[in-house]
Amino acid sequence: MKKGWRHTCATIAFALASSAGLSGCHSVDSWDNDYYGNFDALWTILDEHYCFFEDKDVDWEQIGQKYRSEIDTEWDNRMFFDHCAAMLAELKDGHTNLISWFDVSYYNKWWSDYPQNFNLRLIEESYLDFNYSSGSGFIYKYLEDRNVGYARYASFTSGVSDSFVDMMLLTMKEADGLVLDIRDNGGGDVTNVEKLVSHFINERILGGYITHKTGPGHNEFSEPYAFYIDPASDHVRWLKPVIVLTNRSTFSAANNFVAVMRNLPNVIIMGATTGGGAGMPFSSELPCGWGVRFSASPLYDSNMVLTENGIPPTPGAEVDLDPELALNGIDTMLEEAIKVLNEFAEQNKQPEDTDVRSVLAKKE
Amino acid sequence: MATALCAATSLFSAYGQSEVIRPVLSSYCLEVGGKSLTQTYLSPLKYSGLTLALDYERMQAMRFNSEKWVMKLDGRLSYDSGLNPAGNARMYDISLRLGWSMAHRWRLSKGFTVLAGGNTSITCGADYSPRNSNNPVAAKGAWTVGATGSLVWNGKFGRLPVCIRYQATLPVTGCFFCPEYGELYYEIYLGNRKGLAHGAWLGNYFNLDNLATIDLRFGNTILRAGYRCDVFSSKANDIVSRSTSHTFVLGIVSEWISIGTKKLDVSDAKIISALY
Repeated sequence: MKKGWRHTCATIAFALASSAGLSGCHSVDSWDNDYYGNFDALWTILDEHYCFFEDKDVDWEQIGQKYRSEIDTEWDNRMFFDHCAAMLAELKDGHTNLISWFDVSYYNKWWSDYPQNFNLRLIEESYLDFNYSSGSGFIYKYLEDRNVGYARYASFTSGVSDSFVDMMLLTMKEADGLVLDIRDNGGGDVTNVEKLVSHFINERILGGYITHKTGPGHNEFSEPYAFYIDPASDHVRWLKPVIVLTNRSTFSAANNFVAVMRNLPNVIIMGATTGGGAGMPFSSELPCGWGVRFSASPLYDSNMVLTENGIPPTPGAEVDLDPELALNGIDTMLEEAIKVLNEFAEQNKQPEDTDVRSVLAKKE
Repeated sequence: MATALCAATSLFSAYGQSEVIRPVLSSYCLEVGGKSLTQTYLSPLKYSGLTLALDYERMQAMRFNSEKWVMKLDGRLSYDSGLNPAGNARMYDISLRLGWSMAHRWRLSKGFTVLAGGNTSITCGADYSPRNSNNPVAAKGAWTVGATGSLVWNGKFGRLPVCIRYQATLPVTGCFFCPEYGELYYEIYLGNRKGLAHGAWLGNYFNLDNLATIDLRFGNTILRAGYRCDVFSSKANDIVSRSTSHTFVLGIVSEWISIGTKKLDVSDAKIISALY
């Protein structure tokens, strides 16, 4: 009895001592809530989690030293915020933001240095006649006089409803083809990419690869994981020609959508190079309460190509919006898309050949 | 078919001494207190705030060697809401823990009792940070096996019967869930299940649950008050999860027996309580 009592007491004493000792082993970085502490927190979070240092050839160590040495403790919060935002801009990444209660920083040169190539009012007025159907993030209309379907999907944050897409595609079933306009689509939920793509395929396809960091080192990445997309069984699937209209503001999830769609034989990517954004973002925060968002998990296309810097149009399908013709109600990008679809339909009255890109090849 | 009947402890005196009666001790408690939480998958900062929990505990002497062995089933549902140091973002935590323990009992002199044994438990839940975009949630899941020990004193304050208990539970091994360092749950959703399960040992999964209670018996009513300190720390794939909670415990305890349809010979019954 006495032996058991002593043994039990020893166990309890060991457990109590362990609570302080072992739990202390799992240390967590901490920083002071001053300019230097917050700067160090920001730099460290990016250093340990950001995924494109090597791909973009960024010397983060050197950038950190430069910006840290320039900090002035006499600054106000606004100046300190701008300084940190400038450091983040060195990454040239549209997914990287600093979020405070008075501002959100964006790196916007990925689209601001390029023509916008899109005017919604022009489409609504000159092509849709302000008379169209909408829902699930789409506006659409069967342009009977041109014999094509037009659908615009403004953002992948809007949930894609299978039944809605069914109705939309059925409405256009007599058309020569579909123009899917994702210009100015800044992305959103990647699960909507799979859902929308599933309406344009008839068999399982390789969607691409995803990786993630396995540790804080710049080169610590997991093996790429292949993911697949299945057709929308029991739903309408569009296997006629599709032209996806893109501009530089086609970004993030919309860029991923293009990365998948461009490999389908009945699809042309037309317009301008997309904005990229192939790193799925993570969020974190600084001691002062500011949030930070950054690319953390790279997505590759089915050929293991990183599309972070954008996806060019299908060769021969590079088109810009002519601003002068736009004043006359003409969207040169949409006009070109309609023309290609009509030509393809004309050449293939019995459309066994589903490779709509043959039209572009013949032009060349 | 057996029927269950709740009876107050005072009724036990109606039974005799030859048959062993093992009353079930059930307690229902509410916990209120404070908690600090760090979950580096969501944020490197420590969040602090309120924690609420509901506890259920069921103790009974074992059928074999009832004097020496006691088993316990327990469940704890907790909810926490904490603020970051700047006070401009919240993190929420919800957790459910179900455990089963069996302990050897040594009755010492002067009302002291010591219990020591093993414990197994399942924990599941999630931490949620609404401000995050693609990493708003860190799921929790663990199955552990460990040790549990209690020091109990039964006595009286004046004429009031009391039971004071200190109990510690420490998982020693098992397994737990943790995504890889920068892995999105989206990738897990896509089907990549690699590296999610981890073997647990004291160095990577530490959870010491300390509970001190006092049971005050007012006639047939037993009131329980106490204090719990739960210390948790895990590290896997360079993701650290740490929390410390301090809560006050308040609840009620009842002892009851289950009587079958068979006719009891109560003339010689012996009552063996799990705790008192």
